[in-house]
Amino acid sequence: MATVTVRLHGAFSDFAGGTRKVTLEAATVGEALDRLPNSLPGLRERIRDEQGRIREHLNVFHNEEEIRRSAGESAALRDGDVVHLMPAMSGGE
Amino acid sequence: MAKKVAILVGTKKGAYIFRSGAARSRWTAEGPLFQGEPVHHLAFDPRDGESMFAGCNLTWGGPKIRISRDQGKTWKVGSNPAFRKGKVATTSVFDAGADFPHEVTEELAFKRTWHIEPGHASQPKVMWLGVEPAALFKSEDRGETWKEVEGLTDHPTRPKWSPGGGGLTLHSIALDAKDTKRMHVGMSGVGVFETLDGGKTWSPRNQGIPAPFNPDKDDPIGQCCHHLVAHPVEPRVLFQQNHFAPAWLVGDGEANWRNVSEGLPEASMQGSKDTAYGFAAAIHPHDAETAYVVPLAAKDRLAPLPGIAVHGTRDRGKTWKRLANGLPKARAEVMREGLATDRLDPVGIYFGTQAGEVWGSADEGKTWERIAQYLPPVMSVSAATIG
Repeated sequence: MATVTVRLHGAFSDFAGGTRKVTLEAATVGEALDRLPNSLPGLRERIRDEQGRIREHLNVFHNEEEIRRSAGESAALRDGDVVHLMPAMSGGE
Repeated sequence: MAKKVAILVGTKKGAYIFRSGAARSRWTAEGPLFQGEPVHHLAFDPRDGESMFAGCNLTWGGPKIRISRDQGKTWKVGSNPAFRKGKVATTSVFDAGADFPHEVTEELAFKRTWHIEPGHASQPKVMWLGVEPAALFKSEDRGETWKEVEGLTDHPTRPKWSPGGGGLTLHSIALDAKDTKRMHVGMSGVGVFETLDGGKTWSPRNQGIPAPFNPDKDDPIGQCCHHLVAHPVEPRVLFQQNHFAPAWLVGDGEANWRNVSEGLPEASMQGSKDTAYGFAAAIHPHDAETAYVVPLAAKDRLAPLPGIAVHGTRDRGKTWKRLANGLPKARAEVMREGLATDRLDPVGIYFGTQAGEVWGSADEGKTWERIAQYLPPVMSVSAATIG
């Protein structure tokens, strides 16, 4: 189990009542995502849909790596790692 | 208590509430609520006279349903509806330019709320929810929690369901005025489905609705319903605007939908006089023969010249009258949820445009006044008659 920082960006900070940074313990990125709503219930259902999938317009970074392009949710965390939740910037209409 | 009216307006970026007394001549404005969130629909529950619901569909962080128990003064986030864990379904999807659809199989997950409907008056805790991907959810605790109506999700025709321009959505819920077990739902690209047992079993109910693009003339589904409403007092009366025409379904058994487009603007027709394009539809709450539509030009989906107008019929579509006194000569667009009536007498009619205007008539369409302008594009208008 590692002690890591989760940083909330943009709308995800709004969902958490303005909180921008949380420290928590987790072994993997996926576990960190699952533990976040315990202290920030406003994030419940904001991160995953009911089938457990990370929402399409949420980018999760493990340090500097976007997890969909790297080890995914199973990426192992080390003490001091940072997990970023960042709304995807996607085009308008 | 003197009656009041609240117009609940969902926009592409937040919601607004406009309130007035029974005269409906002066309006106060509240909003934007749910800042930045697309709001596809808001609903008022006339059974308790207090509850309001908002379907908020933010791209980042997914959809949420918000609930007010004090006529919109305060709001809380409710529980999301959830499909069964691991529920997989197949639908048909047309890729751009393709002549034939291909099947897509995926786990179903709640994407957007399209319509929220209070249940029958005799079932004060029941609420219904229409969502994307097309499915119906039922609440038995005033909208606090939701349960999937599995008989509709699992309908054997689902692999042939194909999304309309707005997606594969269940956007209309029409409850029979008397029979609590009888209801109809409208789905884009799929058509109308009927249940006579409270939602356990469903059948397509599209007989009489044209679908000239479909080579199978006897296909029970694929008729593109744009908006469907039931009369709130008179049983067995349904009215819809579909892709090709407004249509009535009165009675049951072998009754067919009757298309009623003659007399609507020529520019809304699609190659023949028995067609008229549009999305919005509303029914007069005190007169089951009166209904309203907003015809759009089929080519560009804007109101045809000389400009935006509600068209009303008082004889179930035998004749139509253009109701535009006070409206601008503007080619505005009104979406499927963009037209509503209140329950006062005379009835108030309201609509909102993609140009961010809300218009109201306190005299059943004889004259119109602008209630709001410079809003974000309006996606839905609902009228709450309070007191």
